[in-house]
Amino acid sequence: MTENHERWNDDVAAYMLGALDPAEAAELERHLEGCERCRERVRWLEPAVRMLPEEVERVEPPAPLRERVMAEVRADAAAASAAAGTTEREARSERKSPGWLRRLGGGALGWRPVVGLAVMVLALVAVAGYEIGNGGDEGGGPAQTFTAGKAPGVTAEMVAEGDGEGGTLQLANVHQLPEDQVLEAWVQRDGEVEPVPALFVPDREGNASTMIESMDGVEVVMVTYEPKGGSDAPTSKPIVTVPIQ
Amino acid sequence: MSVKRDRAERLADEELMPLVGEKDPEAFEVFYDRHGGVAYSLAYRIVGERGAAEDVTQEAFISIWRSGARFDPTRGSVRSWLLSVVRNRAIDFLRSKAGKAPKLAFDDDAILEQRAAEELTEDVAMQRETASEVRGVLGQLPGEQSKVIQLAYFGGFSQSEIAQMLGVPLGTVKGRMRLGLEKIRGELAEGLA
Repeated sequence: MTENHERWNDDVAAYMLGALDPAEAAELERHLEGCERCRERVRWLEPAVRMLPEEVERVEPPAPLRERVMAEVRADAAAASAAAGTTEREARSERKSPGWLRRLGGGALGWRPVVGLAVMVLALVAVAGYEIGNGGDEGGGPAQTFTAGKAPGVTAEMVAEGDGEGGTLQLANVHQLPEDQVLEAWVQRDGEVEPVPALFVPDREGNASTMIESMDGVEVVMVTYEPKGGSDAPTSKPIVTVPIQ
Repeated sequence: MSVKRDRAERLADEELMPLVGEKDPEAFEVFYDRHGGVAYSLAYRIVGERGAAEDVTQEAFISIWRSGARFDPTRGSVRSWLLSVVRNRAIDFLRSKAGKAPKLAFDDDAILEQRAAEELTEDVAMQRETASEVRGVLGQLPGEQSKVIQLAYFGGFSQSEIAQMLGVPLGTVKGRMRLGLEKIRGELAEGLA
């Protein structure tokens, strides 16, 4: 018995470090189910393993990483909120606006059936890269270019003409859409996601572009696949997310 | 229903998770601000590339966001849950990059250094390893124990692969892992005493 537990003791340590092969790990897990002594040993060693990541030298994460994470989170939350269609904020907005928010019922109906699609689309999400560069000075102020994504996934370039003015969103590497799908752009202002009226589709080369009438207060620009005719609220995960600073 | 940021900041992680499960962005933002630094640092320590570390960190946080309601408080803290998600994703990244398994080299020192050294010169990488990796509890272990633990935890190697790399019997690797973890656990217990 003691000899057996010497062997299990070694395996428990390797298991907790993720160093057992799958078959060995499965064998140990079966043993743990019936051995309180080994389960106690796992519990005893857990604080030691939890210490390991805390020992790592701290490296400051880049600020755009936070923006990308939160842009995806807010897009998710907006979609979930649209699906539920019950929040007070939505109710207020619906009363105030005769526009897209008033038609949120369609968004609510549209969300659940596309969960499978959303999972598929996730694989295409390209929000990893992020750069800002001045794009020149024309007309009403300096134009700025915001880019997101990296080849071979969908990439995006947002050229904002100046403070509060409009801009052009250009996508590349977009796959061809079925006839019943379009691209729809969304802008986030003060945490609220609004649709961009002009729907668009990619050309044969996978390039697509749309105009955004006003960039005033825009924090994030996103694009989703939507059913033909567009949606009142996003019904799938963004294929690209461009934080605007 | 979203809580205000200042209210969310006063909540413990375990209290934030139910709000995250309800898709509250402000609660999640507080969670990211608390742990984004250590999560990114761990990802970078494992994958050794800033771009890949960003991808790993983003994927880990988004998976937590989408599964926040599945957090089980009986199995540890939210922070340790997050860090285990980050580690698993980082190791998966290394495995997918190398093929089915992490690239098996027979120079274990090179393995420990190569990932973090990608953007550094060899000398700077050596300095960094010495200054950062072999400090704290790992620095207090005998070198051979620290090494097998680092290869397993940060390198994603199995005990068999480590034995092959180091040219020592499998039983020796097992014993070093056990003794190393026991020593770290003992130090923690002393610190609490």
